[in-house]
Formats: sequence, C-alpha cells, structure tokens
Amino acid sequence: MKSIWENYTTENAYDELMYSEFQPRPVSHGLCQYLNSLKKTDIDKRKIAAELAIMEMGITFTVYSDEGNIDRAWPFDIIPRIMDAREWRIIEKGLKQRLTALNCFISDVYGEQHFIKDGKIPSETINSSKNFRKECVGMKPRHNVWANICGTDLVRNKDGVMYVLEDNLRVPSGVSYMLENRVITKRVFPELLQGINILPIDDYPTQLHDMLSSIAPEHIPKPLIAVLTPGIYNSAYFEHAYLAQQMGAQLVEGSDLVVKDDNCVYMRTIEGLEKVDVIYRRIDDDFLDPEVFRKDSALGVPGLMRAWKAGNVALANAPGAGVADDKVVYAYVPEMIRYYLNEEPILPNVPTYLCSNPEHYEYVMAHLAELVVKPANESGGYGMLVGPHATAKEVAAFRKVIQADPRNYIGQPTLAISTAPTLCKGKLEPRHIDLRPFILQGENTFVTAGGLTRVALRKGSLVVNSSQGGGSKDTWIINMEGN
Amino acid sequence: MLSRSAERLYWLARYMERTENTAKVVSVYMNLLMDLPKGVEMGWQQLLRINGAEAEFYEKYKSAGERNVIRFLLSDESYMGSLFSSLSAARENIRTTRELLPDEAWEQVNELYLFAKNDLETVSNRRSRVLFLKKILEGCQRFSGLLSGYMSHHHPYRFIRLGRNLERADMTSRILDLASLLLSESRSDELRQYETILWMNILTALNALLMYRQHVRSRVKGDDVLSYLLLDKDLPRSVTRCLVEISDCINQLPNNDALSDRVQELEDYVQAIDIREATQLQLRVILDDLQNKLGGLHGHIADNWFSRIMPE
Repeated sequence: MKSIWENYTTENAYDELMYSEFQPRPVSHGLCQYLNSLKKTDIDKRKIAAELAIMEMGITFTVYSDEGNIDRAWPFDIIPRIMDAREWRIIEKGLKQRLTALNCFISDVYGEQHFIKDGKIPSETINSSKNFRKECVGMKPRHNVWANICGTDLVRNKDGVMYVLEDNLRVPSGVSYMLENRVITKRVFPELLQGINILPIDDYPTQLHDMLSSIAPEHIPKPLIAVLTPGIYNSAYFEHAYLAQQMGAQLVEGSDLVVKDDNCVYMRTIEGLEKVDVIYRRIDDDFLDPEVFRKDSALGVPGLMRAWKAGNVALANAPGAGVADDKVVYAYVPEMIRYYLNEEPILPNVPTYLCSNPEHYEYVMAHLAELVVKPANESGGYGMLVGPHATAKEVAAFRKVIQADPRNYIGQPTLAISTAPTLCKGKLEPRHIDLRPFILQGENTFVTAGGLTRVALRKGSLVVNSSQGGGSKDTWIINMEGN
Repeated sequence: MLSRSAERLYWLARYMERTENTAKVVSVYMNLLMDLPKGVEMGWQQLLRINGAEAEFYEKYKSAGERNVIRFLLSDESYMGSLFSSLSAARENIRTTRELLPDEAWEQVNELYLFAKNDLETVSNRRSRVLFLKKILEGCQRFSGLLSGYMSHHHPYRFIRLGRNLERADMTSRILDLASLLLSESRSDELRQYETILWMNILTALNALLMYRQHVRSRVKGDDVLSYLLLDKDLPRSVTRCLVEISDCINQLPNNDALSDRVQELEDYVQAIDIREATQLQLRVILDDLQNKLGGLHGHIADNWFSRIMPE
C-alpha cells in the first residue's frame, strides 16, 4: 500500500508540521504517528464523517455571487494545524501589544492627534482614509478602546518568521468557524485528542460576553446585549446567530431597533419596547445609521449614532475604528507601538510599499510582476494582484488601476507563506495557510488560543479566503511541557 | 423577546406541525385505501380536498391519480402546502431563530430537511414512501420532544406551542370536514359497509384510536368519533384540547387583553356544537366556519404580537 505521505514536499515553503517528507517537527510527532497508524480507508472514513457533521450542524457560509444558493457547506480539512505553546505565548503577547497600540492610535486620531502633529504619519493619509469618520471626533468610548474585537491575519514566511499581514478592525469574521472546527475534530478524532495537551478554545463566547458587558454604559449592572446582523442573507449570518446563541444575547436586525427622542436604543419585543445597552454590530459603518452615513441604508438604525454619542449605548466595534484598518495605516503600526507604548514590536509587519509615496510608487510600478498589490480598504481578497501568478495582460490592466488612485494601493513582496499537510484525494499534500487569531479588548485583553487557520485548497494558490476557494483547519496549540 | 423572533418561532412550529400532519394523513390514507375493496369511490383527490388545494393541483396536473397527488402533496416545491415546502419553510424559520433554541433543535430540523431533500424522489414508490413518511414522523416527534425536554417553557416556547396548536386544530377540523363529506347522503351502500374502517382510520390519523377505545368505550361509530375529536378536553389533537393549549399560552403571554376573550368565545362556540342534532350538511358548514374562526384568531395573534409598529 502506498503511503499517504508519498511525494510530500517541504521544499517550496516552511512547513508547519514537517521538517521533511519523513520527519515531523516535535510538536506534530503525535499526530503523524497516529495518522500513520490509520489505514487509508480509515482516513477517508474520518473525512466523510467530518463532511457529514458539517452538513448536519449546518455550518455554512454564503458567496455573494451564488444567486439562490444561500448556504454552502464550509470546506474543512481534517488534518489540524499545530503550533508549540511556547511559540504561541510570544505571538499572543505581540497581538496584545499591537491591539493596545492600535487603540491608542484610534483614540489619538479622534482626539488630540499627537501622532500626526509629531510627524509620524502624514495628516493626508488620515484625512483621505475612507474609514476616518469626522462624526467620531471627540468621542471617548469606555476604557479608551475603539476596536474591541480584532482579527489579525498572520503568515509565516520561508524564513520561519511570523508576520502580521493585516489587522481587521471593522467586522472581522471567522471565529465561529474556529469554534466549530474544534467541535468537528472532537467528533472525528476523539481518541487522538485525549492523548495530546491542546489548549482549549471554547471559552471565547464567555470572554466575548464579558468584554461586551465591560463596555456597557456605566451604572448598568446587567446590560442587555444584542448582536446586530445585516440579516439572513448576509454571508456571515451563521456566525451572527451562532455567537448570539452562545452568549445568550439577542440577535437583532436593524428593523428590530428604534432610537427614541431620549437618545436611547430600544428593541421591539412582544412586551413593548425594551432598552438595549450594548450592541455588537456586524454591520459596516457605512450602513449603521442612515441619519449620519449612507442615507439609503435599510440595514441600520436611524439615530444610532445619536444614542452612541450620548453615551446611552455601547457599540462594538466603535464607529470610526476602521481608520486603523487601512492597508496604508498598517504600514505605520510598528511606529505606533514605539510611540505610544515605548516598546519594540514583537510581531513584524510585512515590508510595505505605499503607492502614495513617490519613491515607493516607482518601485511598485517597476516590480509589479513580483509583488502582491492590494487595495487599502477591501477585504475578502477582492481586487488584488498576485504578481507572480498573474498574466502579463492582468499586470498591465492593474497598472492602470493603480495609476488612477495611488493612495488606495500598497505593494508587498510575495511571501512564500507556510504550508501544512492537507488531505487531497486520499493523499497528503502541502497547501498554503494563514492564521487569524481573535483579540478582544475592553476592560481586559484576551486572545484566542490559536485562531482560525485558513487554507488555500487549490494547489499552489496563496489565496485563503473562503469566497475564493479557501477552506479551514482546526488549530492546535500544544503544550509540550510535561509531555 | 423580539416580536420578529416570536413570529418566526410561531411559524416554525406551524410548519413543523404541517409537515407532520401531511405525512400522517398521507400514510393513513394509504392504509385506508389498502383496506377498501377495489372500485369504492374514494380516490386520491380526497386528499387534495383536505388541503383545499384542488384548484392549484389541476393547474399543474391533468389527473388526480396516485402518482400526481403524491408528488404534489409531498415533493412539489412549487406548491407551498407540500410536505417538502413546509419542511423547507420550517428550516428557514429555525435557521433564523437558532439563537433562541437548543443546538439540537436546529440540527434535528436540518438533518430532517437534508434527509427529505435527498430521498424526495423515492416517494413515488409505495414501499419507499412508507419508509420516508415514517422517518419524517419520527423526526417531527423528536423535534417536539427535545424542545419539551431541553427548552425552558417560557415565552419563546409559548409561541411554539401557540403555532403548533393552531395548526393542529386547523388540521383536525379539515380531517373531520373530509369525514363528514365521505358520509354525505350520496355515498354508496358499498362504502357504507366500510364505515367503521373509515372512522378507525380517521382516529389513527389523529393518533386517537387507543384513547377513543379507552375513553368512549363503545364501538367505533361516526357521531361518537366526531364528538370525541371535536370536544374531548384531554386528547392532544382534539379541537377543544388545542384551544385549551392556545388559551393557556395566550393567558401567560404579555399584552394579551383582547385575545383571552376571543379564545374563550371560540371555545364556547365549539362546546356548543351538537353533532347528533346536525345534518351532514350543517356539520360541514359548522366545520367551515370553525376553520374561518381559527384563521381569524391567527390574524389577531399576528396583530397583537408580531406587528413591527408598536404603540408608544
């Protein structure tokens, strides 16, 4: 019988589990031993069991272009991604450091603007940011935290170093899949999980609930918490419902809420109107309040900004927090850490060329075929160019796009992002992965143990977004001490 | 609780009940036809009458044979009253109220939906249809059971009970309507001989045969069965019992002022029905009227709790 590892290669990138085809890293030793003890048909059976569980649990996501097809099963690879807890603890520290600095920066931007006045960032960069909301100037959310929930994307380059690719500070999604992936793994590999010391992740909903309680308007002992969803056709609706259910919070749509003349937010219940204290909103700023932002928004709640500014309701994330979720602002995060915290960044940025900077612009234009070029404000992997994978025609077309709006584009070297063994037609093959840990900040700061590992299922592909053919893996942070 | 959530839970329960009722009626009807001799004038079109769906059926199909009627009632996605449409609607309602229900509730409905979707084509074959219907019935029962056992019996649960019992009362009245139609003067002598079988099947369709025997302690005959299914206070699927449940829920829900009286009126109306005095024709008029009144009650419930426009 042929081995499932046949022709496995670790030559093209850093592999998270394997030194080489034959030698697992110490942290994945237990898993590899276990996999090798299974027959090929057993592995297939586990895969089928996982797919069945996903169908039955109804873990789905939506692709916007799939008309009439609301749910699509979540593509899941049963082989987990593994990391040593000793490495993880450093990353965790780095993530806390980063979000703390980012929140200092957002407070500063809507306050005194020392960072700009001290010449650390051009004022032009802030003023031209789509996500800078002048309506938020002067606001002081509780604990001075604007971005309460952050999903930071990490990738490991061939040099073995973990880099921060981006900070998602608007409405980061994926945490429910992280949680469900572990549930599935427990169903599929119960015997394996018992013998390995994996850090648990299932306290996230409790932590989220505590964080949201901690930002409620003061003097409210038991705040009423609601998750505001754009509705049942949103691609992340599953997650909104899941988190509301896990927290025991209300899941509301814009039309369930009303802001009265007293500038308080109420929801329409069978008993009449009931006051809402904290809203975990999963709607972009643009659609939040038609009185202030997009007038045509039917998803939001007229008057919500009034209520927020009056301090009668907490919004997580705070409106305007997205100003730091901009790929141009991203380039300045290491400087923010030094400036606000007087510390050296623990996690490095990917070198970034800003097309708004004339020198950088020249460099990007000259090296388009080698670089990854991204728009500053898109998410979901849309509208980007992966130079080495693009045709000459695509590169030429993208050149024009950048020329038209240089402020909105950044270039980064194409990283050889790390791989992990992934089950492909009964065999293990290396596939590129990233990692999205979730960080909560309110009164305290919390980081998930690991995060959501996304995997580019197409051979050679570097794009891990679920909307672009990506899947996910369970992520194990293993405590090796005491093993 | 949110008005929108109350509405979705109410409809979730109605659609689950409708799914179960459709499965039950079709499987009992198959049994009945097997008991009756060939040539007795009971075709498949009677099943369409129960659902009041004859007009819609004949827009799509020419003849009301077994194959067409079964397809229409069980698997036709374009007919809103089909079993599969009901189950799909139930799933859509639970998908959007998951946060209020135990995990298992969603998984149960989702699994049942996936099973039905997968096996939908097998219903044209009688043997696999029997298995299909059995699984659907079991799934619906499991759903009710786990809600009863896992969920607090608070407001959300009351809206589920409300929806379930309104749908149930409606279905029971439809089945009685059909029975009285079959007993009308025009029936043949041959069918008359099989009257007991017919009534036993009606009782079976409403899971009431054993209870009837224990409670009524007489042989199965038309007037007694009709009275029992309309007026008994304890039988889960009798119209009166359903109204008791509805009334109980309404009285425990907030802002119920006008509704309590309306249910009471309806209960009084049903209790005043005297089967023995009514001719078959009068009975059908009464049952028709009852269905309209149930529809009216639904309207009041919706206005009272589901409406998005709230009094200040």
